[in-house]
Amino acid sequence: MSKEIVTFTFLEFGDLVQIKKQLISVISLCKERGLVHSVKWASELAFALDPLPKDELPPSHLVSEEDVQDLDAFALAKSYFDLKEYDRAAYFLRGCHSKKAYFLYMYSRYLSGEKKKDDETVDSLGPLEKGQVRNEALRELRVELSKKHRAGELDGFTLYLYGVVLRKLDLLKEAVEVFVEATHTLPLHWGSWLELCNLVTNIEMLKSLSLPSCWIKDFFMAHIYTELQMIPGALQKYQSLIEAGFSKSTYIISQIAVAYHNIRDIDQALALFNELREQDPYRIENMDTFSNLLYVKSMKPELSYLAHNLVEIDKYRVETCCVIGNYYSLRSQHEKAALYFQRALKLNPRCLGAWTLMGHEYMEMKNTSAAIQAYRHAIEVNKRDYRAWYGLGQTYEILKMPFYCLYYYRKAHQLRPNDSRMLVALGECYEKLSQQVEAKKCYWRAFSVGDVEKMALLKLAKLQEQLTETDEAAQSYIIYIQEIFSCGEQLEHVEVSTALRYLGQYYFKNKLYDEASLCAQRCCDYNDAREEGKALLRQISQVRDQTETPSGELFVSLSDNNTPIKRVSPLNLSSFTP
Amino acid sequence: MASVHESLYFNPMMTNGVVHANVFGIKDWVTPYKISVLSLLYEMTTSKIALQEKRRLNKLILPLQQGPDLQLGQFLKTVEDCCPQTAFAVKIRLNEMADGELKDMEFFFTTLPNPTFDSEAYKTSVVGLFIRHMLLAYNKLSFSQVYKLYKSLQHYYHVYDAKPVDGQMGVPTFVADDSDMDLTSTEVTIGDKMERELDSPLYASVELNQISRGPLSQKQAEYFLAKQAYLLKNDDNKALRPAKLQEELNNMLKFNPDFAEAHYLNYLNSMRVQDIYISTHSLLHYFDRLILSGSEGKSNGDEGYGRSLRYAALNLASLHCRFGHYQLADLALQEAIRIAQESNDHVCLQHCLSWLYTLEQMKGSDSSVLTEDSVKMAAHFCLPYLASLGIQSLVQQGAVQGKSAHELMDALKDTDILHWKHSLSELIEISLAQTISIWRMYGKSTMAQQQAQLLLNMSSLEPVNFGVTQNNTEAFAVALCHLAELHAEQGLYGGTTEIFKHLKEQFPPHTQHAKLWMLCDLKIQFEKHMNDGKYHLAQPLVPAIRAQNKTEGLYRKAQVLKSLSRTTEAYRILQKLQVHCEKTRCTETIIRVLLSTAELHWESSDFSTGLPLLLQALTLSRKHHLQALASRTLLHLAFTQLMLGVPEQALSVLHEALEPILAHGGIMDKGRALMLAARCQMALVATRHSLTVAIHTLDEAASYFSTLNCKERLRDVRYLQARLHSSLGQTAQRNRCAMLFHLLDRELQTPRAPTDMRL
Repeated sequence: MSKEIVTFTFLEFGDLVQIKKQLISVISLCKERGLVHSVKWASELAFALDPLPKDELPPSHLVSEEDVQDLDAFALAKSYFDLKEYDRAAYFLRGCHSKKAYFLYMYSRYLSGEKKKDDETVDSLGPLEKGQVRNEALRELRVELSKKHRAGELDGFTLYLYGVVLRKLDLLKEAVEVFVEATHTLPLHWGSWLELCNLVTNIEMLKSLSLPSCWIKDFFMAHIYTELQMIPGALQKYQSLIEAGFSKSTYIISQIAVAYHNIRDIDQALALFNELREQDPYRIENMDTFSNLLYVKSMKPELSYLAHNLVEIDKYRVETCCVIGNYYSLRSQHEKAALYFQRALKLNPRCLGAWTLMGHEYMEMKNTSAAIQAYRHAIEVNKRDYRAWYGLGQTYEILKMPFYCLYYYRKAHQLRPNDSRMLVALGECYEKLSQQVEAKKCYWRAFSVGDVEKMALLKLAKLQEQLTETDEAAQSYIIYIQEIFSCGEQLEHVEVSTALRYLGQYYFKNKLYDEASLCAQRCCDYNDAREEGKALLRQISQVRDQTETPSGELFVSLSDNNTPIKRVSPLNLSSFTP
Repeated sequence: MASVHESLYFNPMMTNGVVHANVFGIKDWVTPYKISVLSLLYEMTTSKIALQEKRRLNKLILPLQQGPDLQLGQFLKTVEDCCPQTAFAVKIRLNEMADGELKDMEFFFTTLPNPTFDSEAYKTSVVGLFIRHMLLAYNKLSFSQVYKLYKSLQHYYHVYDAKPVDGQMGVPTFVADDSDMDLTSTEVTIGDKMERELDSPLYASVELNQISRGPLSQKQAEYFLAKQAYLLKNDDNKALRPAKLQEELNNMLKFNPDFAEAHYLNYLNSMRVQDIYISTHSLLHYFDRLILSGSEGKSNGDEGYGRSLRYAALNLASLHCRFGHYQLADLALQEAIRIAQESNDHVCLQHCLSWLYTLEQMKGSDSSVLTEDSVKMAAHFCLPYLASLGIQSLVQQGAVQGKSAHELMDALKDTDILHWKHSLSELIEISLAQTISIWRMYGKSTMAQQQAQLLLNMSSLEPVNFGVTQNNTEAFAVALCHLAELHAEQGLYGGTTEIFKHLKEQFPPHTQHAKLWMLCDLKIQFEKHMNDGKYHLAQPLVPAIRAQNKTEGLYRKAQVLKSLSRTTEAYRILQKLQVHCEKTRCTETIIRVLLSTAELHWESSDFSTGLPLLLQALTLSRKHHLQALASRTLLHLAFTQLMLGVPEQALSVLHEALEPILAHGGIMDKGRALMLAARCQMALVATRHSLTVAIHTLDEAASYFSTLNCKERLRDVRYLQARLHSSLGQTAQRNRCAMLFHLLDRELQTPRAPTDMRL
């Protein structure tokens, strides 16, 4: 059966009809085997494509001799399997020979082990044993599957199962190999790709894999780019997928929204999520990300609406709990927020976002030790979670241990080298430790990678002011003002006025009276700097009165040779009226 | 002198230098092993046992009860050694339970002797408590837990049972057949069947893997950690190899990520291999974890939590200090001090202070004021460890600065009293090592040797845990190095080699204190080659020495250059060195440099220029009580005077130096002094008697030189002797000496330097 699919995997996107056919056939294959998540994914994708005319529908599968033999046992076992009676299913499948039945046999044994493991965790014999509970079936499964694997008797699905078993046994290298093999044998099974995604930790590793060239590979690449924080690449891939005809797919829309969220392009992400909710109003997946965005934007009513809506759909979902947690957090009810995050973690202890968010809540409640605990758990789940590292850094910063938190900020920075927030935080720590050189480097770097909060330059300028590096400070203030006005938004006026005030004084001291008076005039636009601005203007006019003739010459000579930027920039200001 | 402060790092498993094995809360759970112990106790109370055996069993109970879980085989063997009859009874009882039914185990627990007042197992005795604990724990178990316990008991028994007889693999067809309970589901039989039919090599390897890296129980994990921590502290050769230990720890952490102490051990382990990345990571992780447990458990929650924060910063400082990042260490320390000040934690502040002066010292600045403060405060807060550590550090500084000997020795004696009182064995060792170093510095080799023997032969105060005595601390390394040098000075190179062999075993090259003996070894080799006149062999050692110690390397380089007659270069280096040493106040090296410079002047027959240098060296060495160097300076002075033509003066000066040199000096110095004495006598009015005396003196010198195998000087001695005999008209002796001279001359093949030009 799988061979049949392999024959027409090498297709261009243009052939959407073929893709749809493949999807339909793989859906039924997965459905028979109880691989619900892959069925869901494939069905979502198939739904996004135009329906096929009746005669185009793929024929129902060929039934082999073995399948016929096992038909009854398989049907019985499948019903038990669906009712989560895995041992029973396995028992009735033990004598079957067809590949389908064999997969279900192994798969139900695997699931039975997993289920027992979860049950065991509750009543173990000691605190240390808690960590030791494991799926006892894994070993046997591995032995059997590896035998068959060597004999080359495994089909795509069993290969996938073998990979999962290997991964659970922490044999990651072997697992990757097997999953790659599984994608070659059965490219359309999304489960194998997804598992591969979790195992690939860096781009070098990704490049070293030899993957089948199939249209599904593009989905995989886009997904893994998102995972590896290579957002531009991911967005590009998704865009080309949309253009290829998957524009209606909710999966792609949600992935793009998540990608935008990761690069903090909040408006784009919000727009996409809103679109997603219109198309798929009862969707719960990814809604926690959506709520994060709403939280960042402080959109209370929207968040509240979302929370209520989700509670109505299903209140015992991790995502729902996270959304409610965010909702309470936005309302500054941090205890309740923490409670809901805890609930989310009870539902799924490996839910990374909830740990980090809970850490944030504890931070708000000033319960630093609990915050540290939460962040540490998050790191345990995923070492590459930069928010948790950053949160740990913040916690120690609150505890007034700037040197100690350097390590954590550095870790966070390592994971997100182009995120200005970590750099600013690092800079602040260095400043507190009076390591001005490092601090300056950090601020400058933060500005160079694109400062989100626009604070790096200001801090840099202030630092330089303290170190009496007047020229450099003036330079930084100029760039700061340019940045503020060029982005068009009105941020904190206080800081702009500080910059203007400093620049006014600076030009005055350097006898550049035109520029100084321009700055002083601008100062007058701000309440807190008005008096100083006026005073400066008065001083300037006094000086000008005294030395009317020579000042012009001096001015010309100064402007000619040394500081073209200084002269140009304040004049540029006039084009942006504050 | 070695820096003794390396060993001061805060270790949470350690207070006042003592490692506590059990810092983890003990929680009792019923395990199959515990059941076997219970059945042993049961047998002991019910059956009649001979008094002798009973006594042995009683002694066994405590270790069995508190130790980690053992395999049944091991357990039974230990019991068997004491009383075979009881061991058999225990085995039968376990067999009954394992091959029987769940009911049998339940029955066993009901029949356990209920500790009361009259029974042997008194209610509040160790045994009584244990039994009651177990009963309570058992009664608390839920149905499925009881069943699980029973299964694991069966497994425990059958692993043992299956081992001795291989053919009986089929015998444990347990439970399924004769059990009347439905609990043993089909799955067990399937699994069992599989186990038997799967004997492929792959399966075997998996199985092996499982056994070797199986999860540890709480107790076992604790025991493992405590043992490894202890070994790391006292003798890290006996601890697991770094890679292996790391693997074990990773395994442990995988099963229980909350086991914070494992992170600390990981930190110590990666310090061993100088891995700053992992050690920082583990240290911070440990303290993150500690902060949690501190805030949960303690009743004064906030206090415990803040405390670990301070110590976290302090530990970070110590980490950076160990890796030589003094600036970072300084920053971390400032932080620790600030937090400690904010929360009024004087004890922590004291720790910080002692680190502060250590850091200052390492940076090479004077920190005696800080140290004194630290000692005073530590004494005030009753922290004997820190106080005497401070005193030791003061003594070290005082010795370098030339404080008088009795002050130093008094201080050391006072701290010793403190150490014995609080049984701080580690500090006793350090104190002894310091005494050795001081004696050596003063040039009293006999005293140094005696103290070294004292340290090496002292049996440690620390209880001998895990079969390891504490003998690879820095103190031992220092003592052994001194001993090696002392042997080398006396020309006992065989002994030196033995000592280095031992050092290499005790302190393999990758360990922390290996640098000490490496430098020492190089220096000795260098001296040996220089004495033999094999400069080409000494020269390649210079870069190696320089890598270990820059100053020493430069000095040695100058010496080689001097011997190769590259005077100008040597002079330039010596000048540079002198300036450097005056800056760092390294008196010993200054004196040695001065002496070498004077020798350089001799080479150009410029004896009078050397005089002020020598006098300067003499004042310095007298001021610092450096007797060996003072005597050597006198030797140089006498030689200069001889060359300047005042042999009477020379002889009187020499007589001043001769006694200490013969008593304490190295064999080379002895030879040189005697030869000089003979030459002075020759230069004086030649009576027949005095010439005879000179010949004898030369004989003695020759014997010294020949033990060192220093042929050049031996040749000089023979030449002088020949001349003396000639002037006395003893032709036969003259001819013999001349022949000896000729033989040596032919062997050496280098033209003889004019005798009078060198000491």
